[in-house]
Amino acid sequence: MIVPLLLFLFFVWYPMGRNLVLAFQDGYEDASFVGFQNFVDIFEDSSFLSAFKNTFLYIGWSLLIGYLVPVLLGFLLSEVIHAKGLFRVILYLPCMISGMAVVFLFNSMYGDGSQDLFNVIITHLGFQAHPWKGSTDLVIPLIVLAMTWKGAGSTALIYLSSFQSIDDSMYEAARMDGASARQRFFRITIPALRGTLLTLFVLQIISVFQVFYEPLVIGPNGGPLNASMSLMLLSYLYAFNDFEYGKSAATALVLALIIIAFTALYYLLDRFLKKKEAQ
Amino acid sequence: MKLKMKKYVFPRLKDKRGGFLNFADYRNPAHKVGYGFIILLLLLFSFIALFPIVYLVASSLKADGEINSAVYSFWPRVWDWGRFGRIWNTIDLPRYYLNTFIYVIGAVVCAVVFNSLLAYAVAILKPFGYKVIDKVIFLGYMIPATLNILPLIREISDFGLLANSESILTFLPLWLSFGANAYYYMLFKDYFQRLPKSLIEAGSMDGAGHFQIFRRIVLPLSKPIMGIVAIFSMTAAYSDFLLPYLVLQNEKYKTLMVGIYNIGSAGDLLKPEEFLMLLVFSIIPQVIVFLIFQRQIMGAGVNKGSKE
Repeated sequence: MIVPLLLFLFFVWYPMGRNLVLAFQDGYEDASFVGFQNFVDIFEDSSFLSAFKNTFLYIGWSLLIGYLVPVLLGFLLSEVIHAKGLFRVILYLPCMISGMAVVFLFNSMYGDGSQDLFNVIITHLGFQAHPWKGSTDLVIPLIVLAMTWKGAGSTALIYLSSFQSIDDSMYEAARMDGASARQRFFRITIPALRGTLLTLFVLQIISVFQVFYEPLVIGPNGGPLNASMSLMLLSYLYAFNDFEYGKSAATALVLALIIIAFTALYYLLDRFLKKKEAQ
Repeated sequence: MKLKMKKYVFPRLKDKRGGFLNFADYRNPAHKVGYGFIILLLLLFSFIALFPIVYLVASSLKADGEINSAVYSFWPRVWDWGRFGRIWNTIDLPRYYLNTFIYVIGAVVCAVVFNSLLAYAVAILKPFGYKVIDKVIFLGYMIPATLNILPLIREISDFGLLANSESILTFLPLWLSFGANAYYYMLFKDYFQRLPKSLIEAGSMDGAGHFQIFRRIVLPLSKPIMGIVAIFSMTAAYSDFLLPYLVLQNEKYKTLMVGIYNIGSAGDLLKPEEFLMLLVFSIIPQVIVFLIFQRQIMGAGVNKGSKE
């Protein structure tokens, strides 16, 4: 067990600790401590401020576009009795494609040329061609759309299994009492799903904080005009393009703290709900 | 060998026993219409799931220049099947595939061996301080590894692991990085904790050492979870980009994903339709693996959460 522990030390814990220290230093080697100077610097940097703002846009759009689709898919898959397996395979297929290929595939559809797919479709419908990913307002929703296309299938399977784990006798008892389908949905299905809905709500927010490849490729590099910049990507670009290690580590620390805060919030909520159920 | 033929029975709504809507509900015509909507929505979502893939394959088979021609057609006017062979040679796909394969094999071995050993120690041997170890590993699960990529690369370089760019050892840090994966560790730990304690106690009564118990008792019982971690690490290593991009310095060892990024972000190395063909080539192995292991992948996906 010593060897695996050393691996964790090498690949996870040491880099984490080193980054923590780096956030308060002015360089990588022979560096001196500068207190919170790096944090002051990033909060005065317009790229960081747009990345910070974009994070909330990403979360908003991903909840709007991506949160309920898997719930609906899971419900449909649990209720359908024809070609069940086939639908499941088809809806899961996008999850198998690697992120890099998905990003480049959508990148080519979102292009601003008149022969790029999205423009072909809307000019066919009689509208003006649009710059799509070149537009500062659309780039985040488009990125979220690509993420949802890739991710919805596997999340849907989680919902599928929670829909299937609802005891049929509960529905049966409700039917006996003359409950309508709508009443059953809101009194039985939704309460039974509450735990899964909450878990995946928090997991989705946490995973949206980590968006990286998408703005790297589709932006590209967080563009246009930082409109798709994410904290994760910015931390990487600070380190590998600008060689501003302190700022990179400070950004990483801010992001890590946000993630920890959300995880803690989730545990508190989870505990609260369980306590309520026990009563 | 007895061949068991299962007669296909077309499913009927009046036989549906369980679920939100069952046979009793479907006596009501309004609910039958509702079922029509379920099928319709599923067809719509299936279309959305398949459309980009079909678009990709169709566009990649368009003849040179058609993508930029004035009149757009979704299907190629001429199906250029020969492009498969040409791309295979011009960008040396066999080499990309081989490098990716080397990476994947090592990653799977490391993921299964090291994480399972650590999980065995924490879940069953419970040495001094095992609870602390467990907590610290969980911390690593929450914080995405990409955040600490700079110190990691510096460290890999300080240990001289970037100096082997001429030999296959250049893959070493990448392989080993899969040996320290908090998610795989937790999968193993969860599984080991649910193994019957009596079996392990019986082993130690017979005087077997820790390692022997692991090899003789725990391993044979753990094939399902090993299969799951193997499949997960296989797809993860295949799609992995950032660490290979930073570690693999030598052109002749670059993996497929690194190649795609380099070619795709350079913009003018390949024509658009050729680049799309490269994406098709990157998807083919994944679709094959999916079709072979679909049961395991979709079954295990349920535990996976939405994290990648």
